Amino acid sequence: MVNIQQITKKYAKVTALDAITLEVQRQEFFGLLGPNGAGKTTLMNLLVGYINPDNGTITIDGGKVTQDTLEIRKKIGFVPQTISLYDELSAQDNLEMFGQMFDISRKLLKERIEEQLNAVGLYERRKDKVKTFSGGMKRRLNMIASLLHDPIVLLCDEPTVGVDPQSRNAIFDFLTSLNKQGKTIIYTTHYMEEAERLCSRIGIIDHGKIIALGTIDELLERLAYEETIAIIKNPATAKNKAVFEKFGTLLEEDDRFELKPAEGFLLSKFFAGIEKQGIQYSWVELRRPSLEALFLQLTGRRLRD
Amino acid sequence: MKQVYKLFKSSYRIFWNDKVSVALTFIVPLVLMSIFGAVFGGSSSGPQGIRLAVLNQSTSSIAHSIESSLDTIKAFRIIKSFKTDSGKTIAFDTLSIQEYVRNGKAAAALVLPPDTYTDTSVGLYVKFYYDPKNDMEMQTVRGLIQQVVFSQFPSVMAQSALRQTERYLGIESGSAFNRRMATLVHKYFNIDTNVILRPKLSDFKIGGRDTAGTSQNFLNNIVHIENQQLIGKEVKNPWATRSVGGWGMMFLMFTLTATSSSLFDERRSGVLMRLLTSPVSRTHILWNKYIFNMSLGIIQLLFMFIFGWIMFQIDIFSNFFNLMLIIIAASVACTALGMLIAAFSQTRQQANGLGTLLILSMSAIGGAWFPTSFMPSTIQFFSKLTVVYWSIDGFMEVLWRGVGFISIVPHLAILLGIGAFFNLISVRQFRKGHIFD
Repeated sequence: MVNIQQITKKYAKVTALDAITLEVQRQEFFGLLGPNGAGKTTLMNLLVGYINPDNGTITIDGGKVTQDTLEIRKKIGFVPQTISLYDELSAQDNLEMFGQMFDISRKLLKERIEEQLNAVGLYERRKDKVKTFSGGMKRRLNMIASLLHDPIVLLCDEPTVGVDPQSRNAIFDFLTSLNKQGKTIIYTTHYMEEAERLCSRIGIIDHGKIIALGTIDELLERLAYEETIAIIKNPATAKNKAVFEKFGTLLEEDDRFELKPAEGFLLSKFFAGIEKQGIQYSWVELRRPSLEALFLQLTGRRLRD
Repeated sequence: MKQVYKLFKSSYRIFWNDKVSVALTFIVPLVLMSIFGAVFGGSSSGPQGIRLAVLNQSTSSIAHSIESSLDTIKAFRIIKSFKTDSGKTIAFDTLSIQEYVRNGKAAAALVLPPDTYTDTSVGLYVKFYYDPKNDMEMQTVRGLIQQVVFSQFPSVMAQSALRQTERYLGIESGSAFNRRMATLVHKYFNIDTNVILRPKLSDFKIGGRDTAGTSQNFLNNIVHIENQQLIGKEVKNPWATRSVGGWGMMFLMFTLTATSSSLFDERRSGVLMRLLTSPVSRTHILWNKYIFNMSLGIIQLLFMFIFGWIMFQIDIFSNFFNLMLIIIAASVACTALGMLIAAFSQTRQQANGLGTLLILSMSAIGGAWFPTSFMPSTIQFFSKLTVVYWSIDGFMEVLWRGVGFISIVPHLAILLGIGAFFNLISVRQFRKGHIFD
């Protein structure tokens, strides 16, 4: 469905994308995971024909994508990172304005607007100006503005930035249902949880290169260990960080520590060690490693660095 | 107080980092002060190069003296002949000189008829034909003409007196009487006898307080200037008819610069990107901006003219077709200017700053605030390169002179040409793409 061949894009002396080759299958929910500045947005801008590559080609559903190929854009829906709406217009006016660019009949456009507004719970607010909406509502409206022409491929560039957890879940459910209806989705994020939750296949991008590609299981198989140890963060565990670090590499998250076991790690020795410090077993949990750990292994940096 | 000082320091830091604000604070007033200074206060201030047609049909030395004096006045560009359609240069006659003014080729005409001053005259007689298209300029022209003509008064009086003395006492006795009188005046008032016997222009002063009031009426009887307005007599509200074009152009430019700069807001809000990721190209967006701005400009100008018609009885309908053509051409040129400013600016703030500078400068030198003839010749040259000059002149041709299509072809061609030229540059600049990146 989406074929990216040897795409290179440079800005002055910075290589944003370096000979990327990638294929996304029809009806796939593909995630592009990488830290800020990795090249995700540049790739999205190329996929939608907003900018031209310096080298390489992109085809979507057999059609070549460039700045000048406008017809192909009727097959693509693009959800930009920023809220790209007219604040002074109502939700309905915004949708009518953007929808009409795709040569949809007035009747069909009207039906789709109603359908999409209902789908994201904004129908009652359709006549209100966008500037009166909350951040989450704007995000939802921003998303459906890209769906009015019923695209076969949906490109979402970090669509949940700055969104509250409730709206984020609503967006996830909405995207999942779209994927189930048959839409191919390419989703960029720097949140591994989002990629893990939504995507059937993930490409990890860093410094303009795809450094890992596959399903979550395939990616995690590349790790040197099968499980990671999550330790609840509290004063007692925080005091004993040095003890944990004897058993491997310790990552500090907001609510927990995550221990990546070192070579020759034995669970019995670990529990014996922490028991001496008075750390309760219930604060410790064995987990499947995250993509964060893989990213760390591949780059030596964390996703959010 | 410490906190106020810290805030004060921060305010200056913020201000200084905003280069556009700095430029607007210092450069705009500087440019305008320079223009106003050049017009009203500089060493070479005052009007220059006002086209004045002159026809001297008199053989008298006084008429010759008037003609010579006019030649030395830098405010005037004296024209004494015209070119026919076949390219032949012909000296004016009484009809052609009036036609010349009617056609807008000269602001006014001064005719010194055969009887300007004769051997039997006791006063001067001249004819003044004028087109008060530009009130301020015409007041200056009239003032200068009066000054030149009235300055002949002492010479006229002295020559008349000497002639009358000689006529009644005979040449011998009259001359002797004149010489004696001159000697007496010289003795008691210490005035050169030559000045008394052969008066020259420079020996007498005219004007000032002593010529006001009753003496002014006396002068008017001696020096008779026959005034005739050739154009605009039927205009109901001359002031409003003259002003509406200038004001309209200034506001039009502000509006169109602002709407052209809306591209920056659309870029910042991401709307531009959303449009460019739908089946819309950069060219589509630029065309839309251009057509929208142009139509908005037409509507705005039309609105102002209709308001002028309702409020000030400006006659916009007797030559409506040609007025519309100038409105369209002015909007085309102003839109192109707005797009050019947007194309060369990096941010909305820059566009606003540059726009303000250009609009105020162009309004000043283009004749929206005061006649271009009041500016130094260099600035007069530049004023003819502005959209404002050609638009205002076009409006005046249509509303004041009521000219037909052929007469406004140069205005239309120049305005559309300026529009096309600006568009060419701005499209090239837009293609470089900073606004779309």
